[in-house]
Amino acid sequence: MSSFQLSALGALIRNSAVYRSIIRHGVANTNRNRSLVVFENLFLHVHPVKVREKTLKFSHTYWLGGITLVASFVLIVTGIFLMFYYHPSVPQAYRDMKELMFVVDNGVFYRNMHRWAAHLMVFGALLHMLRVFYHRAYKPPRQFNWVVGVILLLVTLLLSYTGYLLPWDQLAFWGVSVGTNMAKEAPLVGKPLRFLMLGGNIVSENALLRFYVLHCVVLPTVLLLFLSVHIWRIRKDGGVQGPPEKDASDEVEP
Amino acid sequence: MLDETADSLPELTPGEETRRQFLTKVGLGACVMTGLGAALTVADYLEPKVLFEPPTSFRAGNVADFPEGTVRFNQEQKVYIVGGAAGVFAMSAVCTHLGCITRPVSGEGGIACPCHGSKFDLEGNVTHGPAPHPLPWLEVKADAAGNLTVDTSVVIPHGKALKV
Amino acid sequence: MSQIPQPFVPVESNDPMVVPKRVAMVRPDTRPTIRRREEKFVMTFPHLIIREVIMFQVVVIGLAVIALLFNAPLEGLANPLETPNPSKAPWYFLGLQELLHYFPPVVAGVVIPGLVVVALVVIPYARINLVAGPLWSGDRAKLRNGIAAVTVALTVLFAAFQCWAIVVPTLMVAAAMFVARGEGKGQPFRRFLTQVTLPEWIMTWFVLVATVLTLIGTFFRGPGWSLVWPWNMYPPA
Repeated sequence: MSSFQLSALGALIRNSAVYRSIIRHGVANTNRNRSLVVFENLFLHVHPVKVREKTLKFSHTYWLGGITLVASFVLIVTGIFLMFYYHPSVPQAYRDMKELMFVVDNGVFYRNMHRWAAHLMVFGALLHMLRVFYHRAYKPPRQFNWVVGVILLLVTLLLSYTGYLLPWDQLAFWGVSVGTNMAKEAPLVGKPLRFLMLGGNIVSENALLRFYVLHCVVLPTVLLLFLSVHIWRIRKDGGVQGPPEKDASDEVEP
Repeated sequence: MLDETADSLPELTPGEETRRQFLTKVGLGACVMTGLGAALTVADYLEPKVLFEPPTSFRAGNVADFPEGTVRFNQEQKVYIVGGAAGVFAMSAVCTHLGCITRPVSGEGGIACPCHGSKFDLEGNVTHGPAPHPLPWLEVKADAAGNLTVDTSVVIPHGKALKV
Repeated sequence: MSQIPQPFVPVESNDPMVVPKRVAMVRPDTRPTIRRREEKFVMTFPHLIIREVIMFQVVVIGLAVIALLFNAPLEGLANPLETPNPSKAPWYFLGLQELLHYFPPVVAGVVIPGLVVVALVVIPYARINLVAGPLWSGDRAKLRNGIAAVTVALTVLFAAFQCWAIVVPTLMVAAAMFVARGEGKGQPFRRFLTQVTLPEWIMTWFVLVATVLTLIGTFFRGPGWSLVWPWNMYPPA
């Protein structure tokens, strides 16, 4: 095997019956196969097969929505890692934080990553919203997708806020105490809503468990639902919309 | 909805409806009722029926411990017990603004909240800052020997101090 | 081709066998013209996909580097009896917390956030957002009085609560709006200002106020929510 070549191995794999049964098109060196790469793939098929070249420019969207999406992906992965060591109870939750920091290999890394990705997601969503506003990319037919985006922003804030309580340290406890007291001020619904959210009159074990369920199950599900709608509609409304486009009136030909 | 084409419809006087329209309404109504019932059941389920929160009444020493001008801060119960001019009274230490725990200010003889800068005097009245109401007074009872019991769940009007 | 065209009557059909036809409507008083925009297309794979992959990698690597360099905060065990001083919410709520310093909770915690959310939702449905041109292209006198009136009203309202953190940005934006009245010949920035629409001015005002409030709440508020320099936030006990 002195003349062993990696490309030969690649060809061997690509020509095997098993590989051909999974990836049903050839190498993407023709436009037909490049099209098949996109629309035969569940995860890529939200893309059109061809895109306008100007959408590739960095300043078209600054990738802000994409960055927010990647942050949420990182959050889901690192969040699942953290769940393996976390008990939503008092004072075990705080001990688990200490365990992550001082005992678990890479525990501090995943916790940090989760924390900073959360900040990035909130910040990215805010910047993305401003970008869309100043580019006037909410214009018809995209009005409703803007509304979906506002819902996503609120869900993002709620996700971040419910996660804030989970370490059960002073920062978490008082941040949530103050925040839920704000909710209490809402007329009529404020007090019962706070009681339901906290499962009591004070921030206690019940509140921690409820915030945990909201943070790990309910809100991520809602986020994924609306995120799917959001991305689907981008495609249906004609792709990503960059800066306002000039009228083509100068290019009119009789 | 399932509307028949116009030509097969019998002539309807205003207020009448076809059997299909009526049954559609009945079906939709049943769906709405089911949904409402489910929502109410879930809401009821989510409301805790027993709370394991600390008891609301506690013993607070003897009347004799509170001559005029003493302020004692019971941190565990979040209550100030004050020997005032008119007698002993108890006052919640929970800031009326957003629920932070206030503290006595050393030297100035007032009470301050660390969160948003509210300040109160020793009667609980707001002297500065965002707090919307004075600190509520709480019920104090004394037995024959002068032992005090404070109930933090009962709010009494300002000025009703326990005369001894 | 010289036959008189029949009047066109669109018909809705439910017949599944009928194939719909596309029809171009041309008004009789115009010549049919074609708008041609030379749009260059590229294949999604590899051009777009490769960029998405790179973006994904940059974000993940960036986050990993930050996670290696900076530790997430963790304070002492939660203690319901001991409020930390100052006691702060996450950064994105510190603007609201700063508002709570000036306004009663029902206003700062419920009314203002509620209004913000409603305002955001209606943006694409408000006509002005769809048709707005440069600010001073309309009735200039009316606009001048309108902007002045709104500015004075906002200034008086927030000054009454001594909320200078909102008054100052409001006056700055109003000043910039009046700067944009001129031509801005030879000055690129002023020429840019003249092109800004009213919705954009309003949004810029909102963003500026929110940013100022958040920055003050984050860096300049210490014990008892008093104004401090960032380096005195946690005074030595």
